[in-house]
Amino acid sequence: MDHKKVKFALGSLLIVGAIGYLIATGINSTSTYFFTVSELMEQKVSYQGTGLKVKGNVVAGSIERDPNDYLSVQFAIEEKTSNLNVVYQGVTPDMFQDGGEVVVEGTLDKQGVFHANTLLTSCPSKYEAEKEAGKMHPGSLPDYQSKPEPGLNNIDSLPKTTI
Amino acid sequence: MNDIGEFTLMVALATSLYGAVAYVMSARGNRIDLYLSADKIPLITWACVMISSIALWKALFANDFSLQYVYAYSNIELDYFYKFSSFWGGQKGSLLFWTLLLSTYTLVVHFQNRKKSLIVVPYAMAIMLGITVFFLVLLNFSTNPFERIPLPPEDGRGLNPMLQNYWMVIHPPTLYLGYVGFTVPFAFAMAGLITKNLDDGWIRLTRKWTIVSWFFLCMGNLFGASWAYVELGWGGYWAWDPVENAAFMPLIVSTAYLHSVMIQEKKDMMKVWNMSLVLLTFVMTIFGTFITRSGLIQSVHTFDEATLGYYFLGFLFFIIAVCSVMIVWRLPLLKSKNELDSFLSREASFLFNNLLLLGIGFATFWGTIFPIISEAVRGVKITVGPPFYNQVNVPIGLALLALIGIGPVIAWRRATWSNLKKNFQKPVAVALFGGAALYPVLPLSNRSEIYTYIAFILCIFVMSTILLEFFKGTIARRDSHEATTVAALGSLIWHNKRRYGGYIVHIGVVMIYAGIAASQSYGTHIEKRVKTGDTIEINDYMLRYEKLAAVQATSVKTRIIAQLAVEKDGRRIWTARPEKEFYKGQKQPVSEVDVRSTLASDLYVILADFSEDDSATIKVYYNPMVSWLWMGGWVIALGTIVCAWPDRLEQRRRLERLKRQEIVFSPAQE
Repeated sequence: MDHKKVKFALGSLLIVGAIGYLIATGINSTSTYFFTVSELMEQKVSYQGTGLKVKGNVVAGSIERDPNDYLSVQFAIEEKTSNLNVVYQGVTPDMFQDGGEVVVEGTLDKQGVFHANTLLTSCPSKYEAEKEAGKMHPGSLPDYQSKPEPGLNNIDSLPKTTI
Repeated sequence: MNDIGEFTLMVALATSLYGAVAYVMSARGNRIDLYLSADKIPLITWACVMISSIALWKALFANDFSLQYVYAYSNIELDYFYKFSSFWGGQKGSLLFWTLLLSTYTLVVHFQNRKKSLIVVPYAMAIMLGITVFFLVLLNFSTNPFERIPLPPEDGRGLNPMLQNYWMVIHPPTLYLGYVGFTVPFAFAMAGLITKNLDDGWIRLTRKWTIVSWFFLCMGNLFGASWAYVELGWGGYWAWDPVENAAFMPLIVSTAYLHSVMIQEKKDMMKVWNMSLVLLTFVMTIFGTFITRSGLIQSVHTFDEATLGYYFLGFLFFIIAVCSVMIVWRLPLLKSKNELDSFLSREASFLFNNLLLLGIGFATFWGTIFPIISEAVRGVKITVGPPFYNQVNVPIGLALLALIGIGPVIAWRRATWSNLKKNFQKPVAVALFGGAALYPVLPLSNRSEIYTYIAFILCIFVMSTILLEFFKGTIARRDSHEATTVAALGSLIWHNKRRYGGYIVHIGVVMIYAGIAASQSYGTHIEKRVKTGDTIEINDYMLRYEKLAAVQATSVKTRIIAQLAVEKDGRRIWTARPEKEFYKGQKQPVSEVDVRSTLASDLYVILADFSEDDSATIKVYYNPMVSWLWMGGWVIALGTIVCAWPDRLEQRRRLERLKRQEIVFSPAQE
């Protein structure tokens, strides 16, 4: 190898090294652990205070909004037999509802309450997932009538004006 | 019709399989009879897939709910517009759509090249048909869109309301056009490897395909961002979600490829590199599809069907293994005739541009698959989010931005001091001046804001190098041709389409950089529960909540609309009407945001929630310069059109080159 090649190999290596360094430090400083509710409960090490992402389904009827501060919401998520209480401050996504699958990101406090700073709902995938899991049989119609949507109840009481 | 559609899918599988084999055998054995029969295959396969697709479209339009696919993605009330787009709304249909595009491309490539008698063509056709075979196997045996329901229901489940947006009709096809398009350069590169035609012939043959596919990928990404921005209602346009990354990675790798092939064309260098990049680009398009299909990675929009993932994973490993072996095998033939001389040269700047692009690509890839890797290695799933991607990709992206200014202008081989001074003195001066002017105005309190400041300085630098190029070229042409300035500018671009088209694309990229930099750092938002008459203040704007109304829009859709008066300096400038839409048959409402977009900033208003007493939760985002992203997209489109416009001169040159080379394939002379 002549010195030109060495020079360029070193130059390229420097860039690759810098990018590698950025990636390594990036992973270290920003990564969060991802658990389902039951996985989190089974962990022997305490993850109190560290960044966590937890996946579970919203326990039916557990969603409670603070009457004074509408943006503050409490709910519980479950998976298998485990349960986790979550508090969240902010606007909840459209698909946040009883039984829905959510991923919360935040930290656990000493009392075992999860303080979420983001709340994600998984969406269109539900379609295929439900079908695959056999929850909905092909040929049967979804029973959207049986469970009225929370928002639609209110429509009648609203002024029927057109803007 | 459904039976016909299903049947033609099988026929297409048989013919494409036959075609792939026949093309290879005809080329190897120099057999004219086989070649003539293989020659008909692209058209037959295309016709079969087309009939199949028409059958599915017909079923969608005819509300034929005996098809499971139609039941799952459409219903009687669905608008025709969306019935058409339901075709690619689900897993099975989107695979059929992919196959339709691939067979169409194969047909076009066939017509382009069948008279050229080049030895690479039969092999390239065989590879493209081979890839078609893979998708047809999936369609026939794993994800048949013509799967029936024994007792057809009366109505379908309808298309997800989130997908009922005009972007749904534009975004997926655009992205697919890009994804599938890279099959063509890939096929020709591999054909070159097989036939040992390793000069730049395959690059020149597929240059237009590369540019056009890149363009569609780029637009697909921007359309996706735009869709997320208007539809998902979280005030942002990019979340580094795995599926977004899946579309972003091929774009980044193909951008690297697009640039490094220029070095091979001009300097006959980086041959192994280009082979690897075209392979990597193709692999990334398949990997992207794999991520979206497999549900392996937690994402907001996966299709969730694990078995299909294994097919893709298998295909992926097969392609990587075969192609890597091919490249290693032909390594002695891929030796470059020239070598790099100096860091301060165009060749070196292209090399560094490639390294940086691949760095962004790799960081994105690593972040996307990190949960899987950490689970395999440590038994714990660790995820990384937007902070990771921003922390890594922003510095690399800034270095890349600097190279956009340096690369196209710096001298080949070795830049001398006087050359550097001539090309960069003014742009550097302008950038420094701009930086000094911006310093007192812009906040610099955190890292993000400092990055944005640097990005602005670099944007000014790059814009001045590009404008200087236009200026110098125009003046020179005006003086030598004695034309007006405007005519000189026109003819300058017209006679150097590749070069100036590329500059125009770069201008678009700089605008996107500026838009991202500003919106990521200076954006603010506020959310508030309001009663009628309450106000929300954000930046210089004041929003007054006026009323809430319910409108029965159609028999399946109810709209709840909030009305807010937006005032600035005490003057009413806009009325915001964010809404929530409730669809019959869907449990969740869909938020429709309202956006007031200007050159300087967007005001983005969301109706987050409402209750019976007419009070509502309103979220307002102030997003500076987001519109620059979309404008940059249009500029890129303009530049690509200039680049890809047919050029007589170049065509003649290319034909002459090909004639000189003895790489013709003519089984007729047997």
